Amino acid sequence: MNGVNDPPLFIKDIKPGLKNLNVVFIVLEIGRVTKTKDGHEVRSCKVADKTGSITISVWDEIGSLIQPGDIIRLTRGYASMWKGCLTLYTGRGGELQKIGEFCMVYSEVPNFSEPNPDYRGQQNKG
Amino acid sequence: MSLECGAHAMLGLAFETGVAFFLILTFQVCKGPPQHEEICLGLFTLVLTEPAQAQKCYRDLALVSRDGMNIVLNKINQILMEKYLKLQDTCRTQLVWLVRELVKSGVLGADGVCMTFMKQIAGGDVTAKNIWLAESVLDILTEQREWVLKSSILIAMAVYTYLRLIVDHHGTAQLQALRQKEVDFCISLLRERFMECLMIGRDLVRLLQNVARIPEFELLWKDIIHNPQALSPQFTGILQLLQSRTSRKFLACRLTPDMETKLLFMTSRVRFGQQKRYQDWFQRQYLSTPDSQSLRCDLIRYICGVVHPSNEVLSSDILPRWAIIGWLLTTCTSNVAASNAKLALFYDWLFFSPDKDSIMNIEPAILVMHHSMKPHPAITATLLDFMCRIIPNFYPPLEGHVRQGVFSSLNHIVEKRVLAHLAPLFDNPKLDKELRAMLREKFPEFCSSPSPPVEVKIEEPVSMEMDNHMSDKDESCYDNAEAAFSDDEEDLNSKGKKREFRFHPIKETVVEEPVDITPYLDQLDESLRDKVLQLQKGSDTEAQCEVMQEIVDQVLEEDFDSEQLSVLASCLQELFKAHFRGEVLPEEITEDGHKAHATPEAPWESLPNLCQMQEDNSSFSLLLDLLSELYQKQPKIGYHLLYYLRASKAAAGKMNLYESFAQATQLGDLHTCLMMDMKACQEDDVRLLCHLTPSIYTEFPDETLRSGELLNMIVAVIDSAQLQELVCHVMMGNLVMFRKDSVLNILIQSLDWETFEQYCAWQLFLAHNIPLETIIPILQHLKYKEHPEALSCLLLQLRREKPSEEMVKMVLSRPCHPDDQFTTSILRHWCMKHDELLAEHIKSLLIKNNSLPRKRQSLRSSSSKLAQLTLEQILEHLDNLRLNLTNTKQNFFSQTPILQALQHVQASCDEAHKMKFSDLFSLAEEYEDSSTKPPKSRRKAALSSPRSRKNATQPPNAEEESGSSSASEEEDTKPKPTKRKRKGSSAVGSDSD
Repeated sequence: MNGVNDPPLFIKDIKPGLKNLNVVFIVLEIGRVTKTKDGHEVRSCKVADKTGSITISVWDEIGSLIQPGDIIRLTRGYASMWKGCLTLYTGRGGELQKIGEFCMVYSEVPNFSEPNPDYRGQQNKG
Repeated sequence: MSLECGAHAMLGLAFETGVAFFLILTFQVCKGPPQHEEICLGLFTLVLTEPAQAQKCYRDLALVSRDGMNIVLNKINQILMEKYLKLQDTCRTQLVWLVRELVKSGVLGADGVCMTFMKQIAGGDVTAKNIWLAESVLDILTEQREWVLKSSILIAMAVYTYLRLIVDHHGTAQLQALRQKEVDFCISLLRERFMECLMIGRDLVRLLQNVARIPEFELLWKDIIHNPQALSPQFTGILQLLQSRTSRKFLACRLTPDMETKLLFMTSRVRFGQQKRYQDWFQRQYLSTPDSQSLRCDLIRYICGVVHPSNEVLSSDILPRWAIIGWLLTTCTSNVAASNAKLALFYDWLFFSPDKDSIMNIEPAILVMHHSMKPHPAITATLLDFMCRIIPNFYPPLEGHVRQGVFSSLNHIVEKRVLAHLAPLFDNPKLDKELRAMLREKFPEFCSSPSPPVEVKIEEPVSMEMDNHMSDKDESCYDNAEAAFSDDEEDLNSKGKKREFRFHPIKETVVEEPVDITPYLDQLDESLRDKVLQLQKGSDTEAQCEVMQEIVDQVLEEDFDSEQLSVLASCLQELFKAHFRGEVLPEEITEDGHKAHATPEAPWESLPNLCQMQEDNSSFSLLLDLLSELYQKQPKIGYHLLYYLRASKAAAGKMNLYESFAQATQLGDLHTCLMMDMKACQEDDVRLLCHLTPSIYTEFPDETLRSGELLNMIVAVIDSAQLQELVCHVMMGNLVMFRKDSVLNILIQSLDWETFEQYCAWQLFLAHNIPLETIIPILQHLKYKEHPEALSCLLLQLRREKPSEEMVKMVLSRPCHPDDQFTTSILRHWCMKHDELLAEHIKSLLIKNNSLPRKRQSLRSSSSKLAQLTLEQILEHLDNLRLNLTNTKQNFFSQTPILQALQHVQASCDEAHKMKFSDLFSLAEEYEDSSTKPPKSRRKAALSSPRSRKNATQPPNAEEESGSSSASEEEDTKPKPTKRKRKGSSAVGSDSD
């Protein structure tokens, strides 16, 4: 199992369907808030590590606390396709924890959340 | 904090048991070092978290500590350096309290903690918490001054810290009070312990320059310059200080640990080209408020003096120091901050000596000039200009030394091959002729190049001899930011070798790379993609324009997917990058300002469409959206659009399109958009800025006429020829830059600008036909020493005017100061030209201001209020005028209105004033004798020369002064008629008593 003490997974290794992810990243952009039907606030944030960037969907008030430049550890996350894009989520019992800011080297490309034809089939199946 | 102390819990439990508790502690402590540490940290934790128990815990801590509190001191330092920002308010308060206690008990090492504490005070930050910290630490230092005096390093560090902070503290009463405390503190240390302060080095002078206008520091400056031995027998003068390099610990102490960590990270880990977001984040946190402008100098000094990357870093693709400096310079928003920043950048040049100073300190300035030549020639120009002008202007008596310093710097730079030749930099066609002429005149030996001058090559010869020196530095891991920086000593030892292999290929500046737009292309519709590809391949502009037109047509088609706009904009932006590099303005402009040549500028070829459209048309807004997308990616589009609308015939009279454009951008409003665009234009192309100025002011009067910011933008960069051009535009009626209702405000704003900028503002004002009376109230803001530009301009204008009563009143309202000759100058001039008119006005003002309440006020708080006209003031000015006219044939003071008024005033004056102005009043004496007799004209004739008589009465006057001064107080209470008589009779010298 992927626990807190395991070395974090690189963003490049995140594939749709993976669970129990432990990832450390720096926040680059925070998207606009959208509201779900049952009143949850959802933000799409662009985050990156040295292997590339990905979009993470952050739910509820923790999204309003995150700032660009924050370095965050995600525990028990999972990845899946949303609207054709690979997206990272916080899973049940998982959390986002700020562990620093600014001082992390990242690479914005490749952006693994860009629409990817390879995954289209999988999404349809799922 | 994570304090791993098991004792903590036990302490909490056993807390109330008093003596027993203390015995347990002592017993535990005796068991061994681990227990001792646990107990100390446990008590320390309680002090921080339990204010009510702090006193008692501290007492216990002092008693059980076996190591002179060392463990606790270390922990405090660690918390301050690593966690201070995370501490809650209570904890911070307790920490201050604890440090105060440590200082009170004179614990060895408490000075170190105090210095770490001072480091937490952020420069350029006037938020409540930061002010609280500054004040709390200052209070400790002031209360325990005797203790402070025992540590020379603490003295120097405290002076450096608070001298710097004074600059931030102004405005509100609270800040003003804090500032006064800081001033008193610094002054007392500087005066008593100047030798200790000397160890700071030349940056002490830099900080003292910034506070030189504060009266206490003005006096200190006088001593530094004229009487250095008074400060310390070993102090030989300012040169001594300026020649000593500032020790790094002082430069570093003005950055908080967080700022330091982030800057070091940028200079040791971030790759060149990847810095944008880091810069944004840093700017958001530390440089976004007006108060934070002052922090830039600290950062620049830190980068020049402290951040000295290892050779591995220097030869890698890590963000170079000059790029950070360039960023700090380009984002300066105020001119004062910009010129301070330039000074900070060049500070080590001015008295550079190769033996004592390091090449690393002067390198950033030359490299930022070198590398900015292509992308931002304006930056290079302003820095070169600064470098020339600072030589005579830094401190005229030391001009020779400064020249020598700058020369040594340049020599050293060439010697160490930072740049192989300076000629490509100094004699570059991108610089304007005047600047090049000035550079040739000042630095002839650096301007002649061995080969014919070519443009600066951006790609440098790559890392020669790299292998020779790879091993002579030991930093194996520049991952650890701190390891990348050498000590002073080490730096001095290695600097001789350092330079040979400075250069590495630099990514961003490689210009002629084919543009890669493939990632965008994939996202475009097929037909659109084809056209964009055509556009990319097309070499001649005409064909490109056609394709562009087709693209625009397609965008306007009904089924166009507006989500593609952004992608399309990205493509266009990339493809047209080259358009935005050079200057827009053709060499020659035709008379009507329209483009003389027909070079199409592709993105704008869509605009004729825009110009012909109705504004409610949906295609219209679609095109605006496209422009706005482009604008987001290429801000230069803004001023290019302004130019296009100004220059293109197709767009004639359509300037208001810009307003629609501004509203369609993310900025969303005309004013912001216009200001940003003009700013961008100012940075890129001054000629274009001047060219646009008339139409901007004409088309958008509401945005421009009230904007001191815009005017400053213009006058900050124009030269005298461009000024002349603008003045002519004004006089020919093409340009209106000032309006009655806002001009005063703008001129007041201009008082903070640099000299040439102020003169420009005044010249432009004078070119307009605005009555001088509109701006006379500015006089209340002008100080003789601080505002020479405005005062002399105003003086020269006033002399052309017939004095009105309002003018005379304003002029007389200036506080009297022996050095301030403004009022006397203008009064004298008016005396010569309009003596009767002036006399009438003065009479009326004297009589109006002669009422009692005013007089009382004037007695109590003479000249304390700036604009208040008091009787005393008028009399003082008149007396000065009288003295000035003494040796002329001017009869101003023999005019009836003046004599009447003087008499009138004298009658109600108290004794002290009568005496003070006895010479003045004596002029009216004889007139007084006959004032009751009707025919005044006869009198006037008899008074032909009051001066001669005044001289005759002087001896008795002097006697009377010494004789009656003690009596003057009781005289005040006597009825007036008596006084008047006494005064009158004594003035002629009779001894009526």
